[in-house]
Formats: sequence, C-alpha cells, structure tokens
Amino acid sequence: MFKKILIANRGEIALRIIRACKEMGIKTVAVHSTADAHALHVRFADQSVCIGPPKSSYSYLNVPSIISAAEITDAEAIHPGYGFLAENASFAEVCNSAGIKFIGPSPESIKLMGDKAKARETAEKAGVPILPGSAGVITEESDAVALARELGFPVIIKAVAGGGGKGMRVVMEETEFASAFVMAQSEALASFGNADVYVEKYITQPRHIEIQIIADEKGNIVSLGERECSIQRRHQKLIEEAPSAIVDAPLRKKMGDMAVALAKAVKYRNAGTIEFLMDVDSSFYFMEMNTRVQVEHPVTEMVTGVDIVKEQIRVAAGKTLSFTQDQIVVRGHSIECRVNAECPEKFTPSPGTITAFNPPGGPGVRVDTAAYTQYVIPPYYDSMIAKLIVHADTREEAIMRMNRALDEFIIEGVKTTIPMHKKILADEDFKQGNISTKFMERYHSPSK
Amino acid sequence: MNLKELKELIEMLKNTDISELEIERSGVKVRLRKGGDVTFHPAMPRMEYPPAAIVAPAISETERPAVEQAPAAASPDQIKVTSPIVGTFYRSSSPDKPSLVDIGDTVKKGQVLCIIEAMKLMNEIESEASGKIVQVLVENGQPVEYGQPLFVIEPV
Repeated sequence: MFKKILIANRGEIALRIIRACKEMGIKTVAVHSTADAHALHVRFADQSVCIGPPKSSYSYLNVPSIISAAEITDAEAIHPGYGFLAENASFAEVCNSAGIKFIGPSPESIKLMGDKAKARETAEKAGVPILPGSAGVITEESDAVALARELGFPVIIKAVAGGGGKGMRVVMEETEFASAFVMAQSEALASFGNADVYVEKYITQPRHIEIQIIADEKGNIVSLGERECSIQRRHQKLIEEAPSAIVDAPLRKKMGDMAVALAKAVKYRNAGTIEFLMDVDSSFYFMEMNTRVQVEHPVTEMVTGVDIVKEQIRVAAGKTLSFTQDQIVVRGHSIECRVNAECPEKFTPSPGTITAFNPPGGPGVRVDTAAYTQYVIPPYYDSMIAKLIVHADTREEAIMRMNRALDEFIIEGVKTTIPMHKKILADEDFKQGNISTKFMERYHSPSK
Repeated sequence: MNLKELKELIEMLKNTDISELEIERSGVKVRLRKGGDVTFHPAMPRMEYPPAAIVAPAISETERPAVEQAPAAASPDQIKVTSPIVGTFYRSSSPDKPSLVDIGDTVKKGQVLCIIEAMKLMNEIESEASGKIVQVLVENGQPVEYGQPLFVIEPV
C-alpha cells in the first residue's frame, strides 16, 4: 500500500480523500494556491505545499508545480479528485513517467473517453445502445430529411463543433425540418467557423441515469448501481439520488452489465461513471463516460456501503477489488443536495465570508464540506460549499429527512441554494418521482 | 546585545501572549517571532542532484529557528525575493561550484541568485532588483514552495 499520497485538488473532495487516507494509515500531502492557505484540506493534511497564485491555471492546473510538490515530499501517488486535472490524459502520462502512481484510469482510457465521437463508437461496438442518428456529418438536406423520417420526429440537429446550445435545433415536425437544418448549419458556421452538423433522435423528457463502476488492475469490474441526476440546471447537477425511482432490479442489472461490458472493452481500471439518457419507456442511450470519481459518489456509498475513494486507492495500489458483483446490494434510498454559494433565483455566484455555519446532523445525515465559520469563499473556484447527503429506508423517508436536514443547515453571510432545494423537495412531481432533465425549466422564465 | 541577553528575551517571550517583538538598541535591531502555523515540512532532498554536495539538513523541523520559516519582515526598503516555483533550492549551479551569491554580495537586477530544481529541470532564479544580499533564508538542498521567501536584498 502507498505510504504517502498527494491530493491534487481543493475543497470538499480534497478533504474527502484525506479522510480516506487517514483511515487507511496513509500520509497525505495537500497542495494549495495562495488563496487557499487557510483551507481545511491544507490544515488536515500531514504536509502542504503552496503551488501557485489563486488562478487555477497557475496552481491547481499547474502540472510541473504539482509533480514537483510530489517529488519534494516523496509522495508515491497522486489522487486528482474531480475537475482540475482529473480527466487530463497528459497529466496522467506525466505522473507515470515521473514514477508517481496516478489514482485513476490509464491515460489511454482518459483520452479515448474524452473524445466524444470515439467514445460513442466504442460504446456501440461494446453493445451499448447509443442515440440513433447520423454516424457522422450530414451535409445534404435531402439526406438529412430522409434520416429524420427514419428516426421519427422529434429530432435534434447539432453542430459537430458545438457546445453551449449554439448550432442546436430541435425539430418537432417534418415541415419545420428544412429551414431548421439550414439555420443550424449557418449558426454552426457563425459560432464555430464550421458548418458541419449531425442529426440525432431527440428525447423530449429525458432522465439522466448513470452507472458507477469500479475496476481493479486484474480485470475485475463491478457495477455499483445507478444514480439519478435529472435535477439539473444548464447541465449542472443540483440533486442526485440512488437508486432511481424508475429503475427496478432487472433494469439495474441490464444497465450495469452494459456499463461493465464497455469498461471491459477499453480495459478500464479504477472508478468510472457511464452516463445514460433514459426515455419515458425506459429505453436508454449512452451519453458519455466520466473517468474519475464523481461529485455525487456519496449517494452510491450510502446505499451500497462501499467506500469508493478507499477502493480507488486500494485498486491503484494493485489490490484486488474487496467485493464481487453478487455482494453488491442496494439498500434504502439516498439523496444528495449540492449547496452552492449563489443566489437561488438567478444562480449568480455569491462569494464572501461565511459568518455562521451550522451543518445538520442526526441519523442518516452526512455533510461533505470544507467550509467553516469565518471561511472566506474565494471567487476563483467553483461555488459549491457543501454536499448534504441523507440515507433512509425509502425515497419518501429520504425526502422527509432531507427537508429536516435542510432546515437545520444554517449558513449566513453568503446566499445559498438551500431555499431552492426546499422548493424542489416540496414539488409534487419531484415527490412522485416524475422528473426529467427539463424539471428545472419550470423555475425559469417561460420564454426560454 | 549578547547571546545571553537574546536567550533571556526568547525565554521571556515564551511565557507571554506576544507573538512578535522588535527591539532596537545602539544600532542593533532584533526581531523575534513565535513559531506556529508552520505547515510545510521539508522532506529530505532527492539524491539525483549533487549527491556529493548534499549536506543533509542537520537541523530538524522543531529545532529550526522560527525565523527561517517566517522570516523577519524586511524593513520597508528591503526586497524579498520569493520562489516562483515549487522545487528544491540550490545555492550553486553545480555541487563543486561555490554559492552563486553570499550575504554581503552586491547583485544586479537579472543576476542569477540560486537554482530551483523542479521535475529534473534546473531553473535559474534571477534577482528582481539591484542591491546587497542581506539574508539568505533557505538552506542549500531544501524544498521550497511557491511564494516562499528566499533572499532579502537591500537596494542600492
């Protein structure tokens, strides 16, 4: 086992990794920017190294600084957490060549899954359903119409170079198709300097369901069940839960088996998540694979009893997974609310000093946070200040428990998303489990 | 001020709430600062670079005078040269060469003051100002972090 691990991250996830290391008897090295000198991950690590100024590109994304910090402290492995360098294949490569174990998949897996087109192709080859659509760029309008007819309306036209909703057109009926296709092409050209578009089946009310897997270096791969992350705003997840209200045991097994098959096809190792879009008829389609620990990993930990971060460290050290597939049982229901320092209506960030901080407690409540009273939320990084996680026997009880915990959660000095979470939890559709990625639209201007 | 007096001062400071004390007497200025909040624990330097020259730090973390970790603030006109990178600090360009600069040396802006090894690369750290070196704050072969003060220069 490793004697010392460097954590190339900050905030709650750095603390989460430090906690796992401490319980495993592993020494920890925190790295930090000058803005984070008083952060909890710095305080609770055995050693710390300042790696640069506040701006991430000079500190938390500064590969030479981080490798150098590992070298001067004799750390044997680096845990990248999520975000920052977690899905940076060249960082994983540099770690390897410096003789430092990167706690995560191989650089090849990161690269393969980071390329959306290749990932889709790989998934298809592994037998994982992908959204039906044009295999590549489609230039002729007549071809596009024919394809759309075959897929069945609605369809979506997307820019190959796209992002941020630009060059994207949803077409509900065939009569609208021709003009939408031309518009998508010209929008793509204007926004990205590339008019290439493709056509895909469009799911009106999709749910975001993802499967957590973990693999050791001996080829054992286990699925830890699904998480439902449909409550999101601008592709930012707000509430996650496990299990999903609409996934039953046979469907869970089917999705899990496919996720494992995909992981096997790319010789995946360590923790990973395969994201799917699910239609109202429970048909599901591969979206992408995240090659790192997820923000929402605690809900899976709560229902399976598996410590994902510890397991990541164990398998990176060459150990066999400490469980087999048939030992994984999903028990009860877990929900996570991401508490962000932002204005709950407009979602604008609200950095500043936390003047009072009282995290909730009691049975079935877990809070993963790096905040404290008098903590100054720096404006340089993301706005998440805490993850509030509950576990109970049923979904209904978990919602009640979450309500209770949100009431106890006192944060003063900055605006938070706590009021928004209370509103969502009180929503009849949410309570019934009638959710989709469109759920949050009801809280925004109807014009959008 | 002699050594005995200095020791007495340190003893005295230990039993008080005072965290910093500055005394000036007949041209001699002494500043004492209590330790604490020292989170950076230097590891033993790696052996790749000058195996012969490495003088293993004889002073352990606890014995090291606090002044080295939290160097006395330079007087307003003095300039502190801080480390721009994380790495291992070397005072000379190779083990058999003398130190690039010593206390009392006059340096020019842009002159190389020390070497910091990061990821097997030797980075020359240049002076930000012309002046006289009045303090060297890090020992040869010690790890340094970003922003850590290395030298104090008195501009001329």
